[in-house]
Amino acid sequence: MHHRCATGTGSKQDLPRLILVGNPNVGKSATFGALTGKYVTVSNYPGTTVEVAEGTALINRQKRLVVDTPGANSLVPMSEDEQVTRDILLEADSDIVIQVGDAKNIRRALVISTQLAEMELPFVLALNMADEARSRGIKIDLEAIRKALGVTVISTVASQRKGIDRLIASIATAKTSPHRIRFSRPIEKAIKEITELLGDNVRGSRGLALSILSGDESLIPWLYRNLSEDKVRQIEAVRENTQARYPQPLGYVINLQRLQALDRLLHTIQATEDVKADRAVQHPLKSLHPLVTLSVLGGMIFGLHMLTAINPVFALLALPLLILTLYMLGDWGMHPVLGIPVLLVVLYFTWVFVGSFGAGTAVDFLQDTVFGRLVNPASSWILKHVLPWELARELFIGDYGIVTMALTYAFAIVLPIVGTFFIAFGILEDSGYLPRLAVMVDRIFKRMGLNGKAVLPMILGLGCDTMATLTTRILDTKRERIIVTLLLALGVPCSAQLGVILGMLGAPGVPVSVAIIWAGVVLLILFKVGYLAGKLMPGEKTDFILEVPPIRMPQLENIVVKTLARIEWYVKEAVPLFVAGTLVLFISDKLHLLQAVQNLAAPLVQGFLGLPAKATEAFIVGFLRRDYGVAGFYQMSQAGELDLVQMLVGLVTVTLFIPCLANFLVIIKERGLKTAVYMSLFIIPYAFLIGGILNWVLRITGAYK
Amino acid sequence: MRRWRKGFLGGSKEHQDTRFEPRFDCQVDEVLELAWMLEEEGENSLEELRARSDDSFDTQFANARAAKQIEASDGRFMLLPEGRERAREVIRRHRLTEVLLTQVLEMEENQVESDACRFEHILSPEATESVCTLLGHPPTCPHGKPIPRGACCEKFRKDVTPLVTQLVELRPGEEARIVFMTPKSHALLDRLTSLGIVPGSEIRLHQKQPTCVVKVGETDIAIDCNVAKEIFVKRV
Repeated sequence: MHHRCATGTGSKQDLPRLILVGNPNVGKSATFGALTGKYVTVSNYPGTTVEVAEGTALINRQKRLVVDTPGANSLVPMSEDEQVTRDILLEADSDIVIQVGDAKNIRRALVISTQLAEMELPFVLALNMADEARSRGIKIDLEAIRKALGVTVISTVASQRKGIDRLIASIATAKTSPHRIRFSRPIEKAIKEITELLGDNVRGSRGLALSILSGDESLIPWLYRNLSEDKVRQIEAVRENTQARYPQPLGYVINLQRLQALDRLLHTIQATEDVKADRAVQHPLKSLHPLVTLSVLGGMIFGLHMLTAINPVFALLALPLLILTLYMLGDWGMHPVLGIPVLLVVLYFTWVFVGSFGAGTAVDFLQDTVFGRLVNPASSWILKHVLPWELARELFIGDYGIVTMALTYAFAIVLPIVGTFFIAFGILEDSGYLPRLAVMVDRIFKRMGLNGKAVLPMILGLGCDTMATLTTRILDTKRERIIVTLLLALGVPCSAQLGVILGMLGAPGVPVSVAIIWAGVVLLILFKVGYLAGKLMPGEKTDFILEVPPIRMPQLENIVVKTLARIEWYVKEAVPLFVAGTLVLFISDKLHLLQAVQNLAAPLVQGFLGLPAKATEAFIVGFLRRDYGVAGFYQMSQAGELDLVQMLVGLVTVTLFIPCLANFLVIIKERGLKTAVYMSLFIIPYAFLIGGILNWVLRITGAYK
Repeated sequence: MRRWRKGFLGGSKEHQDTRFEPRFDCQVDEVLELAWMLEEEGENSLEELRARSDDSFDTQFANARAAKQIEASDGRFMLLPEGRERAREVIRRHRLTEVLLTQVLEMEENQVESDACRFEHILSPEATESVCTLLGHPPTCPHGKPIPRGACCEKFRKDVTPLVTQLVELRPGEEARIVFMTPKSHALLDRLTSLGIVPGSEIRLHQKQPTCVVKVGETDIAIDCNVAKEIFVKRV
């Protein structure tokens, strides 16, 4: 329909756009990937796309800019995400829309279809995840929907590229839908009055009128830009008069009538939906008695334990076992009783994979073999022949050398830990387990003035706090975002930091009680601060409402691409900071600044915390990277410079200590400078205070003497 | 919320009924109501009835007696068949109103009592049946006293499950249709609506622990049990 001449090699903005819209978690991003070949985070968790992704694609020999919008349940925005989507559509001139819908949730897809019809945007409807619908016995009468809407409807399975070619071919047939929902008389009358006030040259005036009637305040600036003040006031009067006729808010009345109309429509076109969802495929493990299944799981854990005792490399087997458990038993993940063993098993396999394989086998190999025997000797050999100056050589291979310290550290220690964590996290995300976990922990989070939804950023924080701080956008209120940001910055150790900490706690000669006290103190502080923040922060608690997607088998390709993208992000963010941190240490060391700072901080570090003078160094670099700070303690511990009390005090303090620089910058970006400064002003003294108290208690009680 | 009150109670035409002179009618009702409650407690002394009434007891009682509703002898009162029937109706209206105001509209207890005392006189038989059906023919008032059965309850006697209950009252696995919702904020109403949770939708309760999980269409949604209390459904 709306063919436009290709603009050749013009900038992205000049290209005709192809806009993907749809409900959350229906496969928009997968469709985007299939169309553009470009990667965006695809995961089985509602609301993952927080930023708009763009990519180009050659469609029917025409280059187009494909835009992936955040998931929306309605084009009358009720959340930030939905507003982003609506605004993109509002400025869509001669662009084409692909609506991606969930084939098994046609009702919700049609809400958006009818709104697109009202906005008079040309579109095609891709009913995605047709395979899932089929396995649940839902037959969709595509022809009937096509007739009702008057647009092309294609059935797709975007994750397997099924139907994508037909979808691409159908884009040329995109047209506006003539379908209109009849609302009750007062609303129809108001629509008529408002569309007249909007004038003829506004496209999609019915959609705008409905949006205005629904009380969409985000449209007000647009109205003032496009209409005279007098007309805006008249429109507002129409709205108020209409609202006066209904006891409930108009937005609700409109939604209700739309859904009721759609139900009537579905009744006529979806008569084929006769097989109930309960007939969905039963997984073999699930059909057994729960006790039998749990013993099978126990057997797997025992087997894994035995194998890793023979050779630690077998810890790698935890990964397929994790996938298997999630796929087979994920549905139990929110069961009031069975949910707990499932959680424990999931935690165990994740721990074996990340903790034993990533932080153990992989780190040993990279640190000892790759860097210890190859990279470091090779670079010192090269440098000896290339750089004649001793000082310059030390910059690279000395105590604070870029190769021997920064790069060894970034690639040999941190990367394997972070990498394995991201793989495991990707699997947890794609399987659909995380929303179930949110259901399980909702009660605990309620105590902290949050709700179960906050579990996603908190778990992601165990991977990378910076990334997790960005993800707090999925939370509903500013208040919850601030609390979670604070908790992340305060006490959620990122995987790099956690890896080093666990390495220290797991070292031979360290009693298990040290690890338990460390975890206990950190958890207690997290909970206490969360509880207090929840009490102190004004604002109402939001109710926990979260869509729980079906358990899906994670797609290998998706996991690989996702992990690589995250590692790339991590390397770009972390390595420069590692190098910068090393440089700071190198210069301070050469100028004997370190000594000066150590003397200055002596009363606090040596007196109050009872740590060796060298610990100051760890705190200084801790500003740059959280894990870097811990690494300082790691070296001291390996060199036998720490007793158990010092180790425990040091670890607790550095865990609670200020977030890394990157995290701090993201806090400024997301929450504002003021909040970021306040948080730091709270966290730094608080971390030292807790460390000091712990030191005092341990010394008084004479523990670990 | 307001709509229900208007539809079922405020809009009732009973107060225009001219069979009795309203004031006289109400006073007789009060005496009969009190007599019914005393009988429930196993008490039939006239003295007790007088003690629990207000100053105008003697006139009220005389009026009721003249209307052949109640009789007294040897310091004991006795409801006559016609009066007993009328007391039944008053009590029924009073206690149904209490259930409606407490459970559905979640009003304050004091307010409930004073409103119930007024509604008991003005609710038409049709409105009473509608309220009773809406509430699922509740057997007792919020204070646990029995609500006299009406014709509508007889019809549903075999079907003991109430028609309209809170979503959380369903057993896990049960399916129902949403009748109405009383969420505490518009924002919450909007969020529920956007997930397809609206009156008329079929909904299935999956579980109640650790939090409520429901299924609407083919979507599983975890919702706070506090929210599920604000969704009223009818079993299908």
